[in-house]
Amino acid sequence: MNKEKDLTDYAAVFFIFLSVLLLLFPSTKVVYSARLIAAYSLYPALHYGAKYEYYARNVPENFLSLIRTDQENRALKEKIKELEIYRQSADAVFAENSRLSAALGLSARLPWKGVWARVLNKEPSDWYGSFFIAKGSLNGVKQNDTILGFENGRAGLVGRIFEVYPDFSKALLVTNGVSSVICSPEKGGFDALAEGKGSWLLKMNYVPEDSELVPGTELFTSGGGLLYPGGVYLGRVLKVYPKESFMNFITADIKPAVNVNNLREVFVLSRHKAD
Amino acid sequence: MRQLGDALLYLLTGFFYWWWTAHLTVFGTAPNFIFLAALNIAIMASPVKAVAYGFFLGIYMDLLGTSMFGGYALTYTLLAYGVYLMKKHFDMSAPFSQMVAALIMSLVSMLFYQGLSLAMSAMPPIKLKSFIAEPFWNAAAAPVVFYFLARLKKRFGIL
Repeated sequence: MNKEKDLTDYAAVFFIFLSVLLLLFPSTKVVYSARLIAAYSLYPALHYGAKYEYYARNVPENFLSLIRTDQENRALKEKIKELEIYRQSADAVFAENSRLSAALGLSARLPWKGVWARVLNKEPSDWYGSFFIAKGSLNGVKQNDTILGFENGRAGLVGRIFEVYPDFSKALLVTNGVSSVICSPEKGGFDALAEGKGSWLLKMNYVPEDSELVPGTELFTSGGGLLYPGGVYLGRVLKVYPKESFMNFITADIKPAVNVNNLREVFVLSRHKAD
Repeated sequence: MRQLGDALLYLLTGFFYWWWTAHLTVFGTAPNFIFLAALNIAIMASPVKAVAYGFFLGIYMDLLGTSMFGGYALTYTLLAYGVYLMKKHFDMSAPFSQMVAALIMSLVSMLFYQGLSLAMSAMPPIKLKSFIAEPFWNAAAAPVVFYFLARLKKRFGIL
């Protein structure tokens, strides 16, 4: 009995001594890292507290980097969930918008759905007027569908479908002399008419003389137009011409959003598919 | 084989405590199963083993915490030794005495750890609601944990 008591006393003194040593002496990086990994694996929420910086002292940067990556991952997962809710909400709004637009006969901003098509053929005699694309009625392409091009990762208006055949279609470019697009600056304020000139530039007409149009202003298709959906990037104002004495509006040159010379593929936007 | 059983019991205790606190807390409070394991092992195991268990269970708690390292190890080592001394004077195999012991020892160990923490790192680590609720949780769960450990001891000969 005395032997067991002695042994117990020795064990107690030994472990108490060990505990006090752990308490008194600063822990090594290995201990800090072990604590961090163990605690973070089991209770990650603990590490979002105000004491985190204090706790993470002396922990090697590679471990901290792992932890931060995991925290970032968790935050992003939350963000994705949040965005999914927004997306579903947006779908509902789009559906309602389509229904109301159809009921009121308005041209509305509809979801951009459609098909990619390769540019088939460009005629030198009609370089800025039209070209053919490798998608036709069999692919769901319809007359007056909007055509978008991409430049520097940004979508811009190219034109619309003019003639449709089973396997290919003819595109009428915005730069064509007979094309015109109702457009407005991003902030709105006025609508004006952008017309093709058969060259790489567009001419912007009917701009109210009191408008504050300056070079560099970005222009978008207006929701008031029937041919194109609203909000498609059309181009940037290059030069504003002063008002002429016999007119009560000003004009401007527009650099189109997409250079048709560089187009290899286009996106045919089908407003019909959104229904 | 016994050592393996002890190691397994240690790991299972840690896992169970983690699982419970991750899924079954009530208003952020839960029984401290690590404390209960240390207490009940101190009641039923040999004193040397009980002290060793107290130390290593405390180390587990220290690993999980953000405060000082070694605080729980010291607290649970002293707890095991205290129970060893108490066993000589009280019958602690009855459920009621286990509940009373769990209630009192919970408060004592929390106060001790709190004092130690304030002295060593000047940070109060235990929340007030834990102070209020945890001793009662521990008292309620103590006989259950004792019963479970006693069954393990009888069945597998560990502890």
